[in-house]
Amino acid sequence: MSDTAVTMHDIVKTYRETGRCANDHVDLTVGRGEILCLAGENGAGKTTLMKVLYGMEKPESGTITVMGKRVKIDSPLDANRLGIGMVHQHFMLVDEYTVAQNVILGREPMHNRFTIDADAAKRLVDEVIHAHGFSIDPSARVGSLTVGQKQQVEIVKMLYRDVDILILDEPTAVLTEQETASLFGTLRTLRDTGKSLILITHKLHEIKAISDRVAIMRQGRMVGHYETASVDERELAGLMMGKSFSPAIGKTPYGRKQETVLRFAQVSVVRRNQGRPMLKDVSFVARTGEILGFAGVGGNGLGELESVLAGTLPISGGTITHRGQDISKSDAHRLRERGLAYVPSDRLKVGSALEASVSENLIIAARKRFSRHGMMRGKHIMQHARTLIDTYSVQGTADMPIGTLSGGNIQKVILAREIAQYRDYIVFSEPTWGLDIASSKFVHTQMIALRDAGASVLLLSSNLDEILSLSDRVLIFSRGSIVAELEGERLHTVTKEEMGAYMLGMHVREAAHE
Amino acid sequence: MNDRMDRRWKRFLGVPRSALGSLVILFIALAAVFLLSFLLSKTPARTLRYFFIGPLQNTYYLGNMLNTSIPLIFSALGVSLAMRAGSFNLGGEGQLYGGAFIATVSAVAMAGWGIAGVICAIVLGAVTGGVMAAFSGYLRMKWQTNELITTFLLSNAVSLVVGYLIAGPFMDPATNLIATRKIPESFRFSRILEPSNLSSALVMALVMTVVVHLYLYRTKSGYELRMYGLNPRFARYGGINSGSYLVLPMFLSGALYGLGGAMAIFGTYYACMKDFSVGMGWNALAVALIARFRPVAIIPAALFFAYIESGARNAMLHSDVTFEIASIVQSVVFFLVTSSVLQRIGTKRERG
Ligand SMILES: Nc1ncnc2c1ncn2[C@@H]1O[C@H](COP(=O)(O)OP(=O)(O)OP(=O)(O)O)[C@@H](O)[C@H]1O
Ligand SMILES: [Mg+2]
Repeated sequence: MSDTAVTMHDIVKTYRETGRCANDHVDLTVGRGEILCLAGENGAGKTTLMKVLYGMEKPESGTITVMGKRVKIDSPLDANRLGIGMVHQHFMLVDEYTVAQNVILGREPMHNRFTIDADAAKRLVDEVIHAHGFSIDPSARVGSLTVGQKQQVEIVKMLYRDVDILILDEPTAVLTEQETASLFGTLRTLRDTGKSLILITHKLHEIKAISDRVAIMRQGRMVGHYETASVDERELAGLMMGKSFSPAIGKTPYGRKQETVLRFAQVSVVRRNQGRPMLKDVSFVARTGEILGFAGVGGNGLGELESVLAGTLPISGGTITHRGQDISKSDAHRLRERGLAYVPSDRLKVGSALEASVSENLIIAARKRFSRHGMMRGKHIMQHARTLIDTYSVQGTADMPIGTLSGGNIQKVILAREIAQYRDYIVFSEPTWGLDIASSKFVHTQMIALRDAGASVLLLSSNLDEILSLSDRVLIFSRGSIVAELEGERLHTVTKEEMGAYMLGMHVREAAHE
Repeated sequence: MNDRMDRRWKRFLGVPRSALGSLVILFIALAAVFLLSFLLSKTPARTLRYFFIGPLQNTYYLGNMLNTSIPLIFSALGVSLAMRAGSFNLGGEGQLYGGAFIATVSAVAMAGWGIAGVICAIVLGAVTGGVMAAFSGYLRMKWQTNELITTFLLSNAVSLVVGYLIAGPFMDPATNLIATRKIPESFRFSRILEPSNLSSALVMALVMTVVVHLYLYRTKSGYELRMYGLNPRFARYGGINSGSYLVLPMFLSGALYGLGGAMAIFGTYYACMKDFSVGMGWNALAVALIARFRPVAIIPAALFFAYIESGARNAMLHSDVTFEIASIVQSVVFFLVTSSVLQRIGTKRERG
């Protein structure tokens, strides 16, 4: 018995389609019963390395040893058999299925050769859920769950497969702090039962909080493995980027209050067959020259608010006006024409067409500007793409399919597109989801620049630090209504604990009186 | 630099990265023909000779082979255009038949109009096919019906009606064929490779291929159509009017089928015979599949299809191969060529 769970040695992986060497002679070791963080900038090759370990990508060379045995992993099924599980950067769940159905998918308990034992399925899934203290209902439809709950389903899915080594690719990217804390609780318990965990994250404080050791990659190479206790956050950042870095962003307080751009008056959204309204009497204004932050725990209305702002979810009551004109009934097409720029939280299903090239993805909303007499202006489009790729340091080229970019780089393309085509107001939902430290900072700087140039910026984010450091005004949602509005002095003094209490709907009364 | 040029060139042609993969598959398919000939024919050498050389042995066979490919090209373009927008048009057969019928009777009616009559008749044929397909698109937009089924059903219904019209009110009393009257001599496309049937419609087919390619990859509407086909939610998010991309591509798709029908009449048959289109719609689907819905790849794919079909016919005429055996060979080839498992092997090989 050795005490290393996994050893990857000299892994080389080059993507043929793009000729990019994503893993350049990489070594990785994971101990038994340890939590290892894998960190590095966008496009460093973290996901690729984990896909190699999970049998989803075939390396050109290199060896993998699991529990002391040399192994060949050709598919996720092989990986599962060896006790390796992976939760992906982007969820791979079937929204129409229930939690239990999703979990057993591919490994169904059978009555006989042909029929699935549905009762056993539910029982087995229930067991896993309870054994690890999760809080999801096995018969709930996955589509109706919050992001944090979907995450749990993904983990349960792997635990149901009896894995000893669990890979999580940026699991905390879209979780609120509370959700992250509870996830970390689960991960620690798993570690204490002897499982090995590999966790990818861009957040330095998370690395410090959860990991025993950290492995750092840079531009396809492994920089090294470190005892977490022996490095501080600054050193970590330095190792990832190969240079020193100050994470603070400069922001001048906003002074001029200007015109109202968007006004929500008593807006409600009621879904069929659902008693509680998704949004209830939501009223606020968004003005030029300010960043308006929206905070809330998953499932409390921010998702619906995003869809309403995007014009994809019709409202059932109230009115929305844009510069004085009623847009309550406007669809996405009309809103775009009126000047909406919008970074969606779902970058793969909504924000991009994965098989289309980066340049094609960059012009979706501004396509009129890039055509003349109905013909596309190829040169302009390429020029535009190259400029944005440069400005946002996207790792990729204009004619690559966007789906071949790393998660963070896809996000950068979407941000670049929307910021470039901003005209009147811009909605950011989880803008820095999956971005590395430097890119996050860059995007934040851009948002402030937009504000200073007079944009009305709406920021929906589960990341409280982001909300608090950027917003000029914050609206807190709980159960579909605004429970608090923070501004000025109050916004500077509020603590995260207080924010958390608001978001759980505890301070409602007090806030309403302020 | 070299690499860049290469990539641009490939992009221009729309050649898939897996072009090499396609060649591998082609090779396997042809090997299957050899194998089957040795198994099923008592004179395999003779059979193979007629199968492979037959279609090319003289201008007559060559021309007829090329001629077969013309309606296939139009129709396969039709399938592909709908496919690029994420819609299935399985009603090609009826759209082609309907388009051909309307084009024929209009041409007969407009006999005195000269060139304007030709154009009018062809356009009417195209519009007929287009409207039939667009109707299914409209139903999908309104009531989320499945266009795969509605195009198919509608096509069958229309085929029956057209069959009745040809056999009834529009039958040419002067012949004992079940067919309409012939279009005026001056309307017919010229033959370009006597003594074969090949007509100048071939040029139209090539031009149309380029037009469809340019439409898809160079125009704003084509861009919107493709984005809608790749990810409808993304298209809607970007402000593309999604309803129109359920209808427009279907219209264009049907119009291409109708055009293919009209071309067959004006170039080859001159009269609309009952059931002349049987099989054409499905063959077009096979061609589009081989070309993986890329307009420019449709030309070689259609030629390949016509070649195999003509080879099978030749082998049937000149050796001991029966109709059934010829059909089996043909089917095996297309089965292999379109099989996605093989396609995957093809691409892997290229990668490895
Ligand atoms: N399917 C693919 N085809 C071609 N290239 C790819 C593919 N997937 C990833 N790459 C390339 O490999 C490199 C490493 O990507 P990878 O996804 O491993 O990065 P990452 O470290 O996970 O980054 P992020 O933090 O942004 O998720 C990138 O340059 C990317 O463009
Ligand atoms: Mg990644």
